[in-house]
Amino acid sequence: MGSRIGAFFFSDPRALRRFRKNRGATAGLALVVLVTLTAVVGPLLAPHSPEEQNLEELLHDNGLPIAPGENPAHPLGADTLGRDELSRLLHGGAVSMQVALFATALAVFIGLSIGIISGYFGGAVDMFAMRGVDILLSLPFLLIVIAIQRVVDRPELWTLFLLLGLLSWTTLARVTRAKTMQVRELEYVQAARALGMSRRRILLRHVLPNVMGPAIVIGTTLVAQMIIVESAMSFLGFGVQPPNASWGSMLREGQQYLSHAPRLVLYPGLLIMATVFGFNLLGEGLRDALDPKD
Amino acid sequence: MLEFALKRAAWASFVMLAVITIVFMLVSQIGDPCAARLGANARPEQIAACHEQYGFDQPLTAQYGAYLGLSSCVRKSSPNYDGGEGHCGILQGDLGESMRMEQDVVEVILTRLPRSMLLGAMAMGFEVLLGVFIGIIAATRRNTWFDTGVMATAFVGISAPTFLSGLLFLYFFAFRLGWFPVGGYGNTPLEHIYSAILPAFTLAIIGAATYARIMRSEMVETLRADYVRTAKAKGLGPVAVIMKHGARNALLPIVTLMGLQLAILVSGAIITESIFAWPGVGRLAIESIHNLDAPIIMGVVIMVSFTVQFGNFLADVAVGALDPRVRVDQE
Repeated sequence: MGSRIGAFFFSDPRALRRFRKNRGATAGLALVVLVTLTAVVGPLLAPHSPEEQNLEELLHDNGLPIAPGENPAHPLGADTLGRDELSRLLHGGAVSMQVALFATALAVFIGLSIGIISGYFGGAVDMFAMRGVDILLSLPFLLIVIAIQRVVDRPELWTLFLLLGLLSWTTLARVTRAKTMQVRELEYVQAARALGMSRRRILLRHVLPNVMGPAIVIGTTLVAQMIIVESAMSFLGFGVQPPNASWGSMLREGQQYLSHAPRLVLYPGLLIMATVFGFNLLGEGLRDALDPKD
Repeated sequence: MLEFALKRAAWASFVMLAVITIVFMLVSQIGDPCAARLGANARPEQIAACHEQYGFDQPLTAQYGAYLGLSSCVRKSSPNYDGGEGHCGILQGDLGESMRMEQDVVEVILTRLPRSMLLGAMAMGFEVLLGVFIGIIAATRRNTWFDTGVMATAFVGISAPTFLSGLLFLYFFAFRLGWFPVGGYGNTPLEHIYSAILPAFTLAIIGAATYARIMRSEMVETLRADYVRTAKAKGLGPVAVIMKHGARNALLPIVTLMGLQLAILVSGAIITESIFAWPGVGRLAIESIHNLDAPIIMGVVIMVSFTVQFGNFLADVAVGALDPRVRVDQE
């Protein structure tokens, strides 16, 4: 990791050193970089089209797909519709990661904005925002997301990440708000206020850098959660719709052939797990690095 | 104290009203339940008749008032419908009638609820037993290979999505080994419990891993405490020290966490219930969204939210009774 990038995320150089020393965190970072890279260049590396069906070559006479290694052109075999499994996994990963990353970015943006405004200004704005958070949190998340997705006429990828992003900023807003309320009372922030610094400048220059730490930690674990929610929705048939495929929708398709070809469940499932594991590991490492008290 | 409880109850009621309103508006946009029920070949008269029967021909405000039980009933199939003042809404304990099953929503939910509760209770049992046991052993063998290995496994366990572990259990223990049924609920109480083992275990993995991590760190703290040293010094055996003085105090946060998890008992586990074809509340919710069975969707969401609100209310009041600072904070 270049020190420039390090300096961007860690305002405190000691935190960067702690992060580097943490083997779990570095492993998590490596996993995350690997998966993100796969999501970006994966579709370019895919040897075949993820949708192209080759029934003759890739299905046995009894209708079962060929296993890994049976055909050198298809190293991971095929799925039950005669499509190249490796290509589908690479494309599916890109879809899963896109949804998770965009949804998280949106959630972090909303959560940070609402948290900072609510915590800094307090009063009626604060009450309104926090009551809104209470109400959102008392809705059963997965059910509501699925129901809204069912309302959408033609669900596409962008409706999915919009929906997930718009509904998952609550925890981040709460934590940011609490942190902002502390920062607001710090002496140098009060001094800035007394010197007549504009609100905008105070919020961006003094408050935002102080609340970034917890936001990065929560954002990292939020990516993991978004991957799980997207997979769960797609697994239940409400998430990513064909012809798009994510790891979750591949699990759904594989489930029907569980007893004959469990690898169709195993491959996407393990990839989801590895990704979630990577983001959790990274999040935990960042937490330890940024907040050594724990 | 009473004032605090009343304020808290008023707020909980307001949240419930907001939830009901959001869900009502959402579900009213979800598509025509009558068209979904009657199929593509339904004649317009049939659909109109269905609309009239369920009150969908009325303006949305009238439907909303009737659903809350504040204004007169618009659902002709209701026994309380008299074309005038009769009410048939939430305030009367009436959540309407399922479009698919032609059955009272409350009745449908009450049939499914005990099944989800059985699954949830068994899962919680597994979680606590496994998590506490593993946590205690890891804490007493701190920094050995056992501790490191078990805690690493627990961290992987937290990342294992339910759909992966569920499908893998299903494959190995049901398809390959044939120890458990492939899914379903069984017919006798004993079969219910037996069929619940695999799904409950699936549901328990993440929780057990979480409990193990918390239990370990709490135990490590507790075992350092002075009273534990005293207990050792007065010659108590290691097992008695760990169980009586260590584990008992370390269990406190576990109990708090269990309280928070109560909602899972009621809401059912959507994914797990789908994988194992377990006919509980979670599956009911998914089926009803598939079928656009509006009254059931609303009923389930409202029931789940109500349980969460009620649980939080009880917890807050209990904490408020124990800790006066909380009461002051709220004012």
